Amino acid sequence: MVFVKQVLLPAAALAWILLVSAIPSRADTRDGCLTCHQGLGDKPSALFAHDVHAARGVTCAGCHGGNAATDDMEQAMNKTAGFLGKPAGDEISLMCARCHSDSLKMAGFHSSIPTGQFAALQQSVHGRLSLNGKERIVQCTTCHGAHGILAVTDPSSPVHPLNVVATCTSCHNNAKYIRQYNPGLAVDQLEKYRTSVHGVRNAAGDGRVAECASCHGSHGILQAKDVRSRVYPTNLPGTCASCHSDPEHMRGYGIPTDQFAKYSASVHGIALLQKRDLGAPACNSCHGNHGATPPGVESISKVCGTCHALNADLFSSSPHKGAFDAANLPECETCHGNHEILPATSALLGVGPDAVCSRCHSSGDAGYRTAGTMKALVDSLESGEKKAGALVEEAEQKGMEIAEAKFRLRDTRQAGLEARTMVHSFDGARFAAVIGKGLATNSSVTEEATKTIQEFYFRRIGLGIATLIITVLALSLYVYVRRIERRQAGEGKMTGGPPIH
Amino acid sequence: MKKPLQKFYAWLDERAKISDLVQFMGKKYVPVHRHSVWYYFGGVALFLFIIQVTTGILLLLYYKGSEQLAFESIQFIMSKVQFGWLVRSIHSWAANLFILAAVIHMFSVYFERSYRNPREITWLTGMLMLFLGLGFGFSGYLLPWNELAFFATKVGTDIAGVVPVVGKPLMIFLRGGEDVTGATLSRFFGFHVALFPGIFTFLLVVHLLLVQRQGMSEPLGLDAEHDRKTMPFFPNFMLRDVLLWLIVLNVLAVLAVFFPWELGRKADPFASAPAGIRPEWYFLFMFQSLKYVPPRILFLDGEVLGIGLFGIAGLIWLLVPFWDRKSARGLRSRTISYVGIGVVAYILVFTILGWFL
Repeated sequence: MVFVKQVLLPAAALAWILLVSAIPSRADTRDGCLTCHQGLGDKPSALFAHDVHAARGVTCAGCHGGNAATDDMEQAMNKTAGFLGKPAGDEISLMCARCHSDSLKMAGFHSSIPTGQFAALQQSVHGRLSLNGKERIVQCTTCHGAHGILAVTDPSSPVHPLNVVATCTSCHNNAKYIRQYNPGLAVDQLEKYRTSVHGVRNAAGDGRVAECASCHGSHGILQAKDVRSRVYPTNLPGTCASCHSDPEHMRGYGIPTDQFAKYSASVHGIALLQKRDLGAPACNSCHGNHGATPPGVESISKVCGTCHALNADLFSSSPHKGAFDAANLPECETCHGNHEILPATSALLGVGPDAVCSRCHSSGDAGYRTAGTMKALVDSLESGEKKAGALVEEAEQKGMEIAEAKFRLRDTRQAGLEARTMVHSFDGARFAAVIGKGLATNSSVTEEATKTIQEFYFRRIGLGIATLIITVLALSLYVYVRRIERRQAGEGKMTGGPPIH
Repeated sequence: MKKPLQKFYAWLDERAKISDLVQFMGKKYVPVHRHSVWYYFGGVALFLFIIQVTTGILLLLYYKGSEQLAFESIQFIMSKVQFGWLVRSIHSWAANLFILAAVIHMFSVYFERSYRNPREITWLTGMLMLFLGLGFGFSGYLLPWNELAFFATKVGTDIAGVVPVVGKPLMIFLRGGEDVTGATLSRFFGFHVALFPGIFTFLLVVHLLLVQRQGMSEPLGLDAEHDRKTMPFFPNFMLRDVLLWLIVLNVLAVLAVFFPWELGRKADPFASAPAGIRPEWYFLFMFQSLKYVPPRILFLDGEVLGIGLFGIAGLIWLLVPFWDRKSARGLRSRTISYVGIGVVAYILVFTILGWFL
C-alpha cells in the first residue's frame, strides 16, 4: 500500500502530465503571441484567429518558434528560447512539412490529410527552383495563404473548388510572370475555362465540376508533356473518366457515363491507350481542354476535320451536307458514332444489314444504287488484292525474285485508302476512278506474279531437259571412251608411252 | 556431210597447220596409276574458269559498278533479263566450285610432290592463280553491293589494315579512302574485271604451256615399275576431261536452279552491321583462327601476330619446291606428308568451327 501511495501513484500522475502535455489541445493551449498581436490589431493575428491550425491548438510558436505561453514579450521572442521570426523561402514549406509530413504528429491532430504533399510538391513542376535560384517556385503558403489557412472544404479557402481557379490563375493569368518560366505556356486558361461547361457551372457555384486541380492534381502537378502527368495524352482519358465514368459523381448531370468504356474500345482509344500512338485523339482533342464544351451538331465535322481534313472537305461539298443539315443530323457521327468509333471497314458501305447507307436509303432510290455499286467496287478491289497478294507470296515462297511487283502491291492498298476517303464525296464516278487505279495495279501484279510462277516451273522443266541432254551426252561420251580404249588396248596403245618425269 | 567437213579441215590446216598440233597431242601420253583421278581437278578448275569468263562477260552487259546502281542492276539482271537469274547464279556457284577445285588440285599436287624439279614454275604459277582466285572471290563478293557483302568487305579490309607498316596504306588503297564506299566498289570492280583477269590469263598461259611441255608428273616410286601404264592425251584424256566437265555442268545447273544465289538487302553504310557477318567459306578458317587469338601475346598485338603467322605459313607453302630437297632427289619425305595432313586438318576443323559457331 505504501508502495502504491509513494511510488506508483506519483509515477502514474507524472506519466499522465507528460502524455497530456504532449497532445496539443485547444482547451489548455494559451497563445500569448496572439493575445498581444491582436491587441496591436495587426492583420496576421486577425487572420490567424480563424485559421484551421489555431482551431486545433497550434500556436504562433508552432511556426515562428519562441514561447507562446508567456505574456512577456522578451521571453516569448527570445532567440535563445528558439524564436525564429518570419520564415522565408523554402523554410516556409519545411516548417509546414515538420507536421504535415509526419504521420504521427498528424494523427495527434486526428487528421486524415495525406502526409505526402510536401514530397509531391518538391517533385512537381512548382517544386523547381525559382529565378533567384535560392528557393522553390511555389511554397505551401502560395496557394493556401499564411495566417488564415482554412480547410479545403471551407468555401472561403483559396483552394476550395470554387476558388482554386482564381488561385491558380493569380499566377497563370500573368503573362509577364509565366513567361519567365515557360514562354510557351498559354495564359488564357481562365478565359477558356469560363466558356466551358465546367467553368460555367463552377462559376455558378457547383463545386463538383472539374476545376484546375481535378485534372492537373494539386501538390504533385507535372508538366503536360511529362509522361507521368495526369494530363499527358495517354493518361488524360483516365483522368476525365475519374469523374465522367463515376455514376455517383455524374448523377444529376444527365449525361452517360460509358464514354470511356466506348472510347477505349474505339479505333482512337486502341491507338492511344494500347498502341501508345500520341497522334491519336484523346478526350481533349475533340472537346478541348480548358474550354471543354460538348461539340454541337454544326461543329462535329469541324472537330473531326482537324485531323480527317480531306474527308471533311469532300463531305462538305457532297450532296449529303445539305441533306444532313436539313435533317439536323450530326455529320460524321451519324455514320461513325462518337466515342465508339470503330475502324472504317468496307462493311459500313453498301446496302447490307451492317451498312450505314441503308439506314437512310431504301431500295429504288439513287443513293441506294450508288451505295450498292460502291460496295461492289470495293469488294472487287479487296478480293483482287487478296488474290494478287497470294500469288506474290506463292512466287516468293518458290524463291523467285518478285520484289518489284510486291512493292507495287502497295499501290492497291493506297487506292483502297484513297477510296475510303473518296466515299465521302458520295460521287460514284469519282469513287470508281480511284478504285480503277487499284484494279489496274491488281491486274498487273497478278499478271506478273502468275508469269513468275510459270517461270519457276519453266526453270524446273528447263533444268530437267538440260540435265537430261547433258547426262545423255556424258553417257555417250563414256561409252565412246570405253570403246576407243578397248580398241586401243587391242592395239597396245595404252602402255609404253614415252618416259614421263 | 563428211566431205564438206574434211574440205574445211584441209582449208584450215593449210593455213593454221592444225595437223602438227593434232600430231603433237597424239604423241602426248598421260600416266595411268591409282592416283590418276587427281589429274582431272586442274581441268575442272580450268573449265570453271572458262565458265566464269563467259558468264562474267554476260553479266557485264547489264551490271553497273556504282554505289547507286550496282544493287539495282543485279536486281534487274535477276528479274528482267532473259536467263539473267541463271547466268548470275551460275557465276556465283561456279566461283565457289572453282576455288574448291583449285584447292583440291593444289593439295593433290602437294601430296604427289608434283611440284618437284622440274615443275617449280608450274607450282608457283598455280599458287599465284589460287591467290588471284581468292582475290576474284573477295572483289566479286562486294559487287552486288548488298548488306552482307558490304560489311564482310569492311571486316576483310580492316584485317588487311592491321598489318604493320604497309597495312594502313594497303587498306586505304583497297578502299579508295578511309571507309568502304562507292570508291571501293569502283576499284573492286576494276580489279575483278580487268586487273585480275589480265594477270590470271598470263599465269594460266604459262601454267598450261609448262604442263604441255613437261607432261603430267608421275608420283614418286612409279618410275621403277616395269609395266608402266599410259593413255594418249588426245583423245582419251581430253574426252575424259570433257566427260567430267559435263558432270560439273550438270551439278552447276542443279545448284543454280534449286539454290539460286540470293541478293539480300541493299547495303546501307549508315546501318549497323547485321548479326552473323562472316566471310566466304574459303576465308573462314583464317577468320575463325583470328577470333581465337588473344588480344595481346607478350608485347605483340594478337591480330598482327595471327596475320603475320598466316603470311609466313603461306610463304613457306608457296616455296615448298625449293626447301623440299628430298622430293627433288626422288625420295619421299614424311615431313611433307605430315605438314600437308596437318594443314588440311587445320583448315577443315577451323572452317567447320567458323561455319557452325
